[in-house]
Amino acid sequence: MKDHPATSEAIEGTSLWRDAWRRLLKNRLAVFGMVIVIVIALASIVGPTLISKTAGYSYDSIPRDSNLIKSFAPFTGAGGKFSWAHPMGTDNAGRDILARVLSGGQISLIVALIATLVSLLIGVSYGAVAGYVGGKIDDLMMRIVDVLYSLPYVIIVIVLLALLPAKTPVGQLAELFFALGAVSWLTMARIVRGQIMSLKNQEFVLAARATGVSTPNIIFRHLVPNALGPVIVYATLTIPTVMLSEAFLSFLGLGVRPPRVSWGSLAAEGAQNLAVYPWQLIFPGLTMALMLFSLNFLGDGLRDALDPQMKKG
Amino acid sequence: MWDSRSRFATTLIIIGCLVAAGCLVSARNKSFFGQTDPPRENILRYVSGSEPESIDPQIPNNQNEARISLALFEGLAEYDPKTSEPVPALAERWEVNKDWSEVVFYLRRDGRFSNGDPITARDFVYTIRRGLTPEVGSRSASLAYPIKYAQAFNEGGVFVYDPAAKTFLLEKDFVENADQAKAVAPISSASPDKNPAPPAANALADSEFHRFMQEPARLVLPGSEKARKAALEANPKIKAAITGKQFVPVKADDVGVEAVDDYMFRISLMQPAPYFISMMPHQFFRAVHQKTIEKFGNRWTDTNNIVTSGAFKLDSWNHYDRIVVSRNPHYWDAANVHLDKIIFYLLDSNTTMLSLYKSGGLDATYNHTVPSAWLDVIGPMKDFMDASEAAIDYYNFNTTSGPTKDVRVRKALNMSLDKKALADWRHVRPLTSIIPDGIFPGYPHPNGDPFDPEKAKRLLAEAGYRDASGNFDPQKFEASEIELIVNPDSNNVPYAEFIQAQWKQNLGATIAIRIMENKTFFKAATNLDYKGVSRTGWAADYLDPFTFLSIFYTPRGSNGTGWWDPKYVELLDRANRMTDHQKRYEMLAQAEQIMLDAQPVIPLTVGTTRWMKKPYVKGLYPNPVTLHSWKAVYIERDPGKWDYGMPDMSK
Amino acid sequence: MGLWNARYEQVTEPGRHLTNQPMARFIIRRVVVIIPMLFIVISLTWALVRLAPGNFYSGEKKLAVGVEANLREKYGLDKPWYVQYGKVLKNIARLDFGTSLKYEGQSVNQILWRALPVSAALGVSAYIIALIVGIVAGTFSALKPYSWIDYSSMTLAMLGISIPNFVLGPLLVLLFSLTLFWFPPALWDGFPSRSLVLPALTLAAIYIAYVARLTRSGMLEIMRSDYIRTARAKGLSEGQVVMRHAMRGGLLPVVSFSGPALAFLITGTVVVEKVFALPGLGNYFINACFNRDEPLIIGIVAFIAITVLVFNLLVDIAYGFIDPRIRYA
Repeated sequence: MKDHPATSEAIEGTSLWRDAWRRLLKNRLAVFGMVIVIVIALASIVGPTLISKTAGYSYDSIPRDSNLIKSFAPFTGAGGKFSWAHPMGTDNAGRDILARVLSGGQISLIVALIATLVSLLIGVSYGAVAGYVGGKIDDLMMRIVDVLYSLPYVIIVIVLLALLPAKTPVGQLAELFFALGAVSWLTMARIVRGQIMSLKNQEFVLAARATGVSTPNIIFRHLVPNALGPVIVYATLTIPTVMLSEAFLSFLGLGVRPPRVSWGSLAAEGAQNLAVYPWQLIFPGLTMALMLFSLNFLGDGLRDALDPQMKKG
Repeated sequence: MWDSRSRFATTLIIIGCLVAAGCLVSARNKSFFGQTDPPRENILRYVSGSEPESIDPQIPNNQNEARISLALFEGLAEYDPKTSEPVPALAERWEVNKDWSEVVFYLRRDGRFSNGDPITARDFVYTIRRGLTPEVGSRSASLAYPIKYAQAFNEGGVFVYDPAAKTFLLEKDFVENADQAKAVAPISSASPDKNPAPPAANALADSEFHRFMQEPARLVLPGSEKARKAALEANPKIKAAITGKQFVPVKADDVGVEAVDDYMFRISLMQPAPYFISMMPHQFFRAVHQKTIEKFGNRWTDTNNIVTSGAFKLDSWNHYDRIVVSRNPHYWDAANVHLDKIIFYLLDSNTTMLSLYKSGGLDATYNHTVPSAWLDVIGPMKDFMDASEAAIDYYNFNTTSGPTKDVRVRKALNMSLDKKALADWRHVRPLTSIIPDGIFPGYPHPNGDPFDPEKAKRLLAEAGYRDASGNFDPQKFEASEIELIVNPDSNNVPYAEFIQAQWKQNLGATIAIRIMENKTFFKAATNLDYKGVSRTGWAADYLDPFTFLSIFYTPRGSNGTGWWDPKYVELLDRANRMTDHQKRYEMLAQAEQIMLDAQPVIPLTVGTTRWMKKPYVKGLYPNPVTLHSWKAVYIERDPGKWDYGMPDMSK
Repeated sequence: MGLWNARYEQVTEPGRHLTNQPMARFIIRRVVVIIPMLFIVISLTWALVRLAPGNFYSGEKKLAVGVEANLREKYGLDKPWYVQYGKVLKNIARLDFGTSLKYEGQSVNQILWRALPVSAALGVSAYIIALIVGIVAGTFSALKPYSWIDYSSMTLAMLGISIPNFVLGPLLVLLFSLTLFWFPPALWDGFPSRSLVLPALTLAAIYIAYVARLTRSGMLEIMRSDYIRTARAKGLSEGQVVMRHAMRGGLLPVVSFSGPALAFLITGTVVVEKVFALPGLGNYFINACFNRDEPLIIGIVAFIAITVLVFNLLVDIAYGFIDPRIRYA
């Protein structure tokens, strides 16, 4: 455990969160991760609009001039001459890859956030109930989690998505949120259950019960807020997992459908043209790897910052 | 904490490696696409396409099966490696009589099956009759329809027998345009006789069967009651005549093929078919072994049971992986077969194929495996093969329902596409009619409608999609829910998007694209279960314009549009009866004009063959159908004799 | 596909109750769970397949009404749904998964039999590579924490977790197949052969990363513990300390990770087999889904479920033998 310097901070009386924030900032890798994540996220959010305002095309614009409907290498224009127009090159239909990567980032981020939220909601509720209620019901609930955890039920999700494609784009996205959220709530449930179990015999819970607070209220208004530490940490770790799952499904053709793009579908397109136009895979792939890389560092850092007792080494 | 410097360093190194790899990829191999070391053994590693439905040469009719059948089975004629015209194989020569009613093939005496049994004329009689048997379910049986009573037998038709007069009713008494071929012009040069011998076919050994063949054609009625009723309603003369008569099913023995003796095979034709000889290399007409089929039934193509007639025999079939064939020692021309083995990989992903080709796992690919988007890079390479192809890309209209039922809508959609732009984008040639040019010299192509978006808009306005002042109203048109359906493919979808953008640009209307998964797509397209346009294509079965025009010969089957015009069919039949080659072409062109006037399709582009072949592979030529006579192929070990660029195609 | 976190698993691991039950009861309890699990999985899959639009015989040609009726009768599609459901269950109980609807004439068992060795060879090779490389890297990192070995291995490990396998695979192909021509970019040439190398590496990458991290943290924890100090005090050499004592305990997280690892490997093989065109279970599974090939889908899902459940049971038993602190008393 690190020694906290006895400075004026100790006199000010820090909260748990500010402590954690300070620890996080000291972790240079985590900060690096955070910065990259913010940069890519911002670029994905404003990038596509910015590009369409300045350069005039969007991620799905096919050029009118048929000489431009081909895959240019990065910084190359017609006739093989240097050009600033396409820093990441274009795909087979002449669409700018930078715009596509950023637009894909939008989708990847939205899906990851919402699916994580879904998994949070399901997992927290499930785990809190199981942890509080205990006994046979808890046993049963955890057995179900056990068994589901051991199954690669991404397989079932694949069956679901392949066989029941939603007709509208909104429907497709909703299906994706649900499917991805359903895959990742398990560990969240376990964690929350563990936390609840260790908290439920504490005095403030006994007090609440004694004063007649209803069980749902105890669970959701008293226990859960106190268990939030690990929940947040795990949520941060879930985001890259879900992002990866979405990309994986889009790669197989089950996730985002055209004309929308996601990093996974871009990687699938790029892999098709690997032998002659490798940049079509390299840029989306690297961007995704960079994002996941940074998210992992950030998650590690958050975990270290919020749970110093759990720190190893 | 992990040191940020070493982390930076690691990341930089990795990025550097990737960039270097990318540069390596573009810098290497300027002339050839990938590796050029020949295989150590005398084998050819080819990709034939997706898993064959069957290697029975008579059942499936797709190119992926054809490529394999050509190695395993031998026919009367073979495809010339360079021109795809028929050259003698098991038949040493052939003769056609003056009025194209008979063809005689003179077989070689040393033809052998893979188990040593001799191949005789009787085997060809069996082959053709077996292929036409309805229970066999051949998809290519219609190729044999020019043969007398072949169609009747295959469709389960019946003769009409008069028990009193002990004769059969004759077609010429009831049908208007019965056989009139009495022209005395010289033999059609569309299918050149390699060895023109005196036309004495009729002087050959006569037989009862032959006399039967020479009689005027018998009337044939459909076998099923429902269809027969419809035919009878259509022709009251027949209806009156059939009272008191019996229906006798057409049997295999009635089909007009005959073994005059062991090595003389005679075919009697229902009507002149100048393109008939060019069909002989097709796998449907290749010899199959009667005893094996009769013994094993459906299982006759199992690796343990199969007996073949071609230059190669089947070694193994690993499903969805590869088919291996090795040289057949009993083959009549075994001395001229160069390869010891051919491995046919069963793949359908172009990217995988080309990756394998680049890394040296494949020696050649089949046609259209080079994606259009890669042409900029691959086109200049010396192992890229290209040639005009006897195949077309086009869109079908649903002419039976929806907005495209109106011919003006169809014409408008056709005229509002700039096909030249489409063709330039894909490095192919635009098509205004449906016969590709450059393949049939002397064919007078009719001109389809030119690119004229203004006229298109006027036509659409006429058809009812107009606003108050009589101008074309795109919104009204869009409200008709017209759509373009395609199945997913690396080429189909970009094409569709391009065309959709064209329509949007030239008409102002957005026509929705619906990408349907293969099965759902074929179902909807075949059942005409959509409103608007669907994507399709057609490759020639043989080298004659009729192979394209025959698409609309019947309302179902290959048609796909629901359009059918008896005048069109009549013109085609008349054209086929002509023995003057050029006059025949002219009449075929007239028929084509009728079709173009009705606009059941949007002709788009004619493709080019586009495949890859390693420089050390010789004997494999970029012919119009990309079907190869495998015995001509060999591996050249001397780099001085390799092909740098396309091989010399001159004879 | 979750990020498996050693710490949380050990703290919150429910349901194992390992120290309280005799071994036999434990095993029986686990085996008994398998049957209802399978039942649920198969039923769920079957229901999904039936709900899906389109059917397997939608082909190029319109089927005449009579022919379509014959097909439906042949496959029993004309009977009410509960009859068909019962038939499916009955057949599966006899391990008869039926005939594939898309791959003519091939029984599902035949296909499984043919595809399994491919996926198994791939998965086992990947796992062994991951174990060897990961354990070695993790051990060295643990032995010299905060050194450059530690930093670079852990960063590479992080990269392994971050680069998705569908990006890594093609990149490996780009470098080793299409530029250096060392390995084939696709297809299966049997085992062992060069065609296995790139796919196994791609699949192993993420597990090397996990195993390395787990080994490192597990070993670090053990190395600080009392009984290692005792071993050192007894005068054993560092190597002996590591191999005989530390490994056993330090490998615990790795062993208990094997269970979920199998599950992840299976989802990983789906992508790897697609990228490298290998005729394994993953590839067949995806095609079966897109083709609505019901018997094949159910067959593969059931097979995977059985494999995973049995494997997890074996892992739990092995766990008991390895960890000296846990006994089934």
